[in-house]
Amino acid sequence: MSQQLLTAEPRAGGSKPPPKRRAGHIRGLTGWSYGMVAPSVLLVAALLYAPFLWSAWLSFTHYNGTGSPAWAGLANYRELFSDPVLDTTLRNTALWVVGTLVLPVGLGLLIATLTYNVKGGAWLRLPFLLPYALSGTVTAVVFGFVLQDGGALNTLLHTLHLPGSSVSFLQTAPLNTIVMIFAQTWQSIGVNLLLFVIGLQSIPREPIEAARVDGAGGLRLFTSVIWPLLRPLTAVIVGLALVAGLKTFDLVWIMTEGGPGRSSETLAITMYEDAFVSGNYGYGAAVAVLLTVIGLVVSLLYLRQQASPKRELDLTGAGR
Amino acid sequence: MGSTKIVRMPGRRARLVGSLVAAMALTTLAVSACGSSGSSAGGTNLQLYNDKAAWTPFYKQMSTQAQKDVGLTITPDGYADEPTYQAFVKSALKTANTPDLFTWATGPQLDQLVQAGEVANTSSMWKQAISSGELPQGLEKYYTVNGQQYCIPENTSYWVMFYNKKVFQSAGINSAPTTWQQLMNDAAALKQKGTAPFYETNVLFSFVWFQTLLAGENPTLYTQLTEGKASYTDPGVVQVMQQWEDMINKGYMSDPGNKTDPATLLKSGQVAMVPDGTWFNTSMVQAGMKSGSDYGMFVIPAINPSVTTTPVEVETGPLCTSAKSSNSTNVNKFASWWLGTNAQTTWANSRDDVSANPKVNITDPQLKTLTQEVAGTKYQLLERYYDAVQPDVLTAALSGFGAFMSDPSSYMTQLQTIQKANASAGSSGS
Repeated sequence: MSQQLLTAEPRAGGSKPPPKRRAGHIRGLTGWSYGMVAPSVLLVAALLYAPFLWSAWLSFTHYNGTGSPAWAGLANYRELFSDPVLDTTLRNTALWVVGTLVLPVGLGLLIATLTYNVKGGAWLRLPFLLPYALSGTVTAVVFGFVLQDGGALNTLLHTLHLPGSSVSFLQTAPLNTIVMIFAQTWQSIGVNLLLFVIGLQSIPREPIEAARVDGAGGLRLFTSVIWPLLRPLTAVIVGLALVAGLKTFDLVWIMTEGGPGRSSETLAITMYEDAFVSGNYGYGAAVAVLLTVIGLVVSLLYLRQQASPKRELDLTGAGR
Repeated sequence: MGSTKIVRMPGRRARLVGSLVAAMALTTLAVSACGSSGSSAGGTNLQLYNDKAAWTPFYKQMSTQAQKDVGLTITPDGYADEPTYQAFVKSALKTANTPDLFTWATGPQLDQLVQAGEVANTSSMWKQAISSGELPQGLEKYYTVNGQQYCIPENTSYWVMFYNKKVFQSAGINSAPTTWQQLMNDAAALKQKGTAPFYETNVLFSFVWFQTLLAGENPTLYTQLTEGKASYTDPGVVQVMQQWEDMINKGYMSDPGNKTDPATLLKSGQVAMVPDGTWFNTSMVQAGMKSGSDYGMFVIPAINPSVTTTPVEVETGPLCTSAKSSNSTNVNKFASWWLGTNAQTTWANSRDDVSANPKVNITDPQLKTLTQEVAGTKYQLLERYYDAVQPDVLTAALSGFGAFMSDPSSYMTQLQTIQKANASAGSSGS
């Protein structure tokens, strides 16, 4: 039952096996269908594949945006992997990925679970949902005002005679990355909360009632029944959070521009800084390729792990 | 339901409609791709792309005057973000629909466009303007690449020190300093009074104090460094960083992480002095301060007493046109008018700034005095650090100086990092 609710393609015909497909041919695709599909395919090819291939080629060149790119072989990659900034960038990106997974997703799940089926739960969830209406840029501007030196937080701490009034939240590494992850958490907790509430609503009552009859409740009910049934949705949320963490850009760019001294740069910021600020498009493209490769590898490993046979069994929640 | 209807369509008709849909999509793509920015060939309204979005009202004022004087108008299109603007210009210059006019930067940035053959030659215009006295000979070198001139000055500013007169008076200082020692004594007095003597920031303008201290200590080394002929680990450069560190440790600098507008900080007396280009005068006036009574400006004295001609950094922003412009007659007509005394008087005085044209009568008395002073023999003009260095060295330097302000003891690490970029730019002196 839960599988039907939470999988993308429910089987309409009960036990009837799916129709066989011939490799390289999509059933029912006529001349008309090709015509309908063609604009989308062309758009995807022109706006996604072509720029990616162009960037990949550019990463093997020296190019300042004027004239023609000059072939450089692996020079950009050699320079990139010997650049000490890459260590900082990779560390910060990893911090963002972990932070984005643990905080917005973890807190979203916690708040959704604690407020679900509770009287007035919707009102309790509302304050967490509202920041999601703000764009990342607005969030960054607001938190920049709060966290900058002599900003709202420093002033508040000073007024209340609390310690930390002279702490440079955005000027000290890695504190600047950590506080920016908190700012991101404030903004993005709402969407995770919303998705988990939808997940909770889609859980059938029967297994929960059966577990309660068996004496399960509280943490036991959550870990043995609710969490396994939420797992398919969690897989999607975690996948989205992974990608969001890897491509972190707007908040950091607005709040610190990756500084001071490139100390809060993420891979996306490094790419922008090298390509567009320094005008070193070839090197920036090499960073972009590295970011793409990391994103693909992480996503593939994650998806493969989620799609393993053992995981398939878990998705159904059977045997629990 | 709709899908059922589609499946029932006869094969030939289906293919025909399908092909039409695809063709329409392609046509839409092609039209939208071609319909980007650019000039109207031969039109009297010129599009002026610029990285000074805040100056839009001043550009509009110039458009009104240009229409009266030469029958041309300009439509300013300002960008607030510098990297976005530069990427736009570089890509627009590659199309057949190039911008009529665009602002740019001198130094390596201009070199890049000239080497790629993307910017129009203005040598004859320069020759004429210099002979008529509407442009000073000294400015020509910033616009010269391989012996030819490209672009014309859109704006010119001198880098000086702005100071709050009331804050100075409250600390018992009655006149602007004329020697470095006096400036340091004033800083000590202001610090004693609880005011941060100097403004500094770790974002974008993090180069300012490095520029000031190095040019004031050793102008020759400054020039060699900006040209990539010296190393950032040179003992002379290290000494300047140590001096900067000392000033920070003495509490002479404002909090570099404070993002408040420097005009606001100066007006409120939170900082006593702001080193900036004369274009900062516009911000001061807009902040409601009165030139001469509320605030003053002075040329920053040389640090090294053996430097007999005081270095003043000059910033001059070019106004360029594409080598492939399809509207070159009107563009050239506009550029010649722009350099003239009539146009420059409006342009400089509307912004409360100085002009590249020595014939312009500057209305702000302080700016007028300053312009006359720096034209004399007691001063030497040096190109602003931001424009003079290679873009990737600049990026490393801005980050390095920003990091240094957060941890002043890290100056050697920062210099080594900048030197690495300097060396890989192929112009290292080490």
